[in-house]
Amino acid sequence: MDCWAGPLLQYSNTPIFRHLILMDPIKLTIDGKEVATTKGKTVIEAAAEIGIDIPHYCYHPKLSIAGNCRMCLVEIERMPKLQIACNMPVVEGMSVLTQSPKVLAIRKAVMEFLLVNHPLDCPICDQAGECWLQDYYMQHDLQGSRFQERKEHDRKREVFGPNVVFDGERCIKCTRCVRFFQEVTRTDELSVVNRGDHSTIALFPGTVLDNPLSGNVVDICPVGALTDRDFRFKVRVWYLQKTSSICPGCSTGCNVSVETYQNRIARFKPRINEAVNSHWLCDEGRYCFHDLTGGERLTTPMIRQEGGLVPTTWERALEAMLSGLRGAIPLAGILSGRNTNEEAFLFAKLMKKLSQDCALEVLYQERELSEVQKILMSPDRSPNFRGAREMGVSSNGGLEPLMRKLFDGHFSGAYVVGEDLMGINNDQDRIRQMLQKLSFLVVQDIRMTETAQLAHVVLPSTQFGEKEGTYTNRNGRVQKLNIATIAPEGALQDCEIFVRLLDAAGDKVSYSTPVEVFDALAKEVPAYHGLNYAAIGEQGIQLGGGEAKQQ
Amino acid sequence: MEKVLLRNIDVPDSHTLAVYSSRGGYRPWQEVVKNIRPEQLIEEIKASGLRGRGGAGFPTGMKWGFVPKDSPKPKYMVCNADESEPGTFKDRLLIEKDPHAIIEGTLMAAYAIQSHTAFIYIRGELAFGANILERAVDEATQAGYIGKNILGSGYDVDLIVHRGAGAYICGEETALLSSLEGGRGWPKVKPPFPATHGLFGCPTVVNNVETLAALPWIIEHGAAAYAAMGTDKSKGTKLFSVSGHISKPGVYELEMGYPLMKFLEEDCGGVPNGRRLKGVIPGGGSMPVLRPDELEKVNLDYESVQAAGSLLGSGGVIVMDDGTCMVRAAWNLARFFAHESCGQCSPCREGCHWMEKIFHRIEQGEGRKGDLELILNVSGNIMGNTICPFGDAAAMPAAAFVRKYREEFEEHITQKRCTIRNGVME
Ligand SMILES: Cc1cc2nc3c(=O)[nH]c(=O)nc-3n(C[C@H](O)[C@H](O)[C@H](O)COP(=O)(O)O)c2cc1C
Ligand code: SF4
Ligand code: SF4
Ligand code: SF4
Ligand code: FES
Repeated sequence: MDCWAGPLLQYSNTPIFRHLILMDPIKLTIDGKEVATTKGKTVIEAAAEIGIDIPHYCYHPKLSIAGNCRMCLVEIERMPKLQIACNMPVVEGMSVLTQSPKVLAIRKAVMEFLLVNHPLDCPICDQAGECWLQDYYMQHDLQGSRFQERKEHDRKREVFGPNVVFDGERCIKCTRCVRFFQEVTRTDELSVVNRGDHSTIALFPGTVLDNPLSGNVVDICPVGALTDRDFRFKVRVWYLQKTSSICPGCSTGCNVSVETYQNRIARFKPRINEAVNSHWLCDEGRYCFHDLTGGERLTTPMIRQEGGLVPTTWERALEAMLSGLRGAIPLAGILSGRNTNEEAFLFAKLMKKLSQDCALEVLYQERELSEVQKILMSPDRSPNFRGAREMGVSSNGGLEPLMRKLFDGHFSGAYVVGEDLMGINNDQDRIRQMLQKLSFLVVQDIRMTETAQLAHVVLPSTQFGEKEGTYTNRNGRVQKLNIATIAPEGALQDCEIFVRLLDAAGDKVSYSTPVEVFDALAKEVPAYHGLNYAAIGEQGIQLGGGEAKQQ
Repeated sequence: MEKVLLRNIDVPDSHTLAVYSSRGGYRPWQEVVKNIRPEQLIEEIKASGLRGRGGAGFPTGMKWGFVPKDSPKPKYMVCNADESEPGTFKDRLLIEKDPHAIIEGTLMAAYAIQSHTAFIYIRGELAFGANILERAVDEATQAGYIGKNILGSGYDVDLIVHRGAGAYICGEETALLSSLEGGRGWPKVKPPFPATHGLFGCPTVVNNVETLAALPWIIEHGAAAYAAMGTDKSKGTKLFSVSGHISKPGVYELEMGYPLMKFLEEDCGGVPNGRRLKGVIPGGGSMPVLRPDELEKVNLDYESVQAAGSLLGSGGVIVMDDGTCMVRAAWNLARFFAHESCGQCSPCREGCHWMEKIFHRIEQGEGRKGDLELILNVSGNIMGNTICPFGDAAAMPAAAFVRKYREEFEEHITQKRCTIRNGVME
């Protein structure tokens, strides 16, 4: 009974699959406007191409067509019944109306149906403010419900997994979540159960929604049925400030919107970038800002004196560190994989200025990934390891030999930026001994880490979200970070620290802001020739690929 | 009239291969598989004018013709034995009394589209019938009518009896296919259509039990003999299952175009107990009810019933006498549809229950002004806007009851109770 098409079946109805088959040009009109598109597309896709957004709930460009919400019904000339735009293939000469009286009326009707059993608990619903029911109600409905019967009830706040909680009463049964786990992660945790208005979404018995991409269903759920356990009830979404940036979780470089409230990161949301992360974000990345930010911040430079580290001024600290490092040759420089290209460029310049006898590396560790993790994640936690190396933070053989030399006591001075070496593996005692053997250790970080406690000079710097600059992802895509939160007073931007040190070391550079540094590095680093900061835009630029690969 | 469908049912042990064969059974199949090419068979059935008896009346030969001949995928033939339409029990009779006719017809249809795997999808509750069918399939397999290289023809086909779990919606052909695939009994969005993307994404034909059971007779007697019966557009004979307030309920085979009132009064003995007729649903619970004044000129064929404002559907004739509370009848049907809605698409999922709640309230004496307009409006919003025709099937009868017995509904609302006493409104 096996069918050869079995494995392909789940895709056969997806727009992508259909695009692969047919690419013939087609012309049709939508609301009187002519659209030139290709065969195999649907009316909703063709409309989007000319900027007409046909309202929809169940349709999602990355999922198969479900056709269940009926919000996208449109009128098509010479067809007696309204048709769903999400499943209607374009046909040469077709004429589509998305604003006719019949269409406007059915939109109101569908909205009314969707709200029949809906609790409308917007005041306590975390989705309020970014809810498609609210938005479409304002755009297409704006009338009271005629439903005056008893509403059906369903499960409230059922925990689906570590990150996702479900409210059955708010669910509109669009099945986006079910399809996401069937088609994208292929983990199949969710299904629809029961019938009629008792239909609801449920976990398969014995499963937990804990796959590495689980958080994405919160984004694609158009209503408040699936909410983010980490974010919910922390802040109303309309208070959030949104800043485009890049996820610092790994070197995939997923595009994110960093959403902040009162100078704190409240959540990450994915930004669509088909060259990188499509619509998705992994859970590790989504919540990584908790570990990377906050805590008790360092706000003043420290210097080691008899008995320990004491606060000092930036001038004294920089002076002490320069003379200290100059007297501790050979030097090791270890940079975090979360430092930007601009920081890496300046760091390499500075270290080479201090001594030719120095070895530089980016902290980089790999781990095994599961099949589901591989859909999006890279095996490291160093979002900019590639860029930093390209900026010159690299030595022969990579990190391994450098670490070995460190343990062997080859170096007498070290400059560690943005990483707690004591935290990188279980061999803490050995690392401590190794660090203590150094005649001079400088640590630049945001918190008083265990490594910092061993340092001779500690410099307070800035965390993710507080700086702008660029990352180059694993595949060579240069992408921009922007400032989402303000650094505490007393801490300095890493770029500024390096520029001041370069100054003091006698290498007066003519650039200081990340933008200026980028334009400088684009001149000096061959792979980056011809790039300019402004052209990177919201979607990044592919190295070597020129503009062609740019979105 | 010569019986096409009920020709065997009164013979003792008609369900056995021995009796079926003794009456000429499987001779047509031998003829087809040995001497008739698939295209010829399709032409023959087109010429007979046979239309699908599952409700929509779609020409059977034409449906087979939609299956692509050059597809590299396997093709599937499915016999729809899910019969669950309220008031419809014709297929069950054939399943229990003449299973071999269904099997023979299914084999022919499979041959016509060159499918090598055919299914009979039978409603879960019809366990007795499923047992009979399974036994009949075994007999036919042993006799060499099913399997590999059938009767030396080189044609192979397997026939599998699949029991559903019992859901009305699984009679809708794409829901049936989802269920057969092992999924939820959810209708599929169209396009694509089953003829090209049916079971497991492969070309598939779904035909009703009664449709398929007519095939052996047509092959034996010729398309012309079949087409000679019935009307211009509705050929042949059809089964009608009559229930409700009628003296002789049961399954009847009639030539298409038979006058409805004659049928009810003469063949079925009329409304019993001296009561008067109040309404008839001519085509199963999902079709609009007709009032006595609308029934007079109705003949039992697709066109005539449609002209009267209803549809022939499955041929489930439900008769209601003047003691019937139409509010209660409407609620009863609405409750059925609310219960059976698969819940996939919003208008049907929410609308069916909404209508049921309003009907229920009116029936309970809690009707409000505006309720009737609301029902009409909600049913209008469902009609034509859903994934599958179930939405229409629920909306049409609801609207028809309200429109055609409006006075009675209004009386119910204002009096806050049923006022039907001894066949008249008080
Ligand atoms: C809600 C619903 C229920 C249906 N139930 C049945 C059924 O029980 N049996 C059946 O043969 N057709 C049923 N149909 C019709 C089928 O979808 C399909 O049209 C039919 O099986 C085709 O067979 P035919 O061409 O021989 O009529 C149903 C349709 C709908 C919309
Ligand atoms: S899902 Fe939307 S409409 Fe429903 S309660 Fe939440 S915010 Fe309100
Ligand atoms: S939980 Fe959200 S995504 Fe899933 S079906 Fe309900 S509304 Fe759609
Ligand atoms: S119309 Fe009703 S039965 Fe058909 S798919 Fe929609 S909800 Fe299911
Ligand atoms: S978006 Fe088309 S039916 Fe839901």
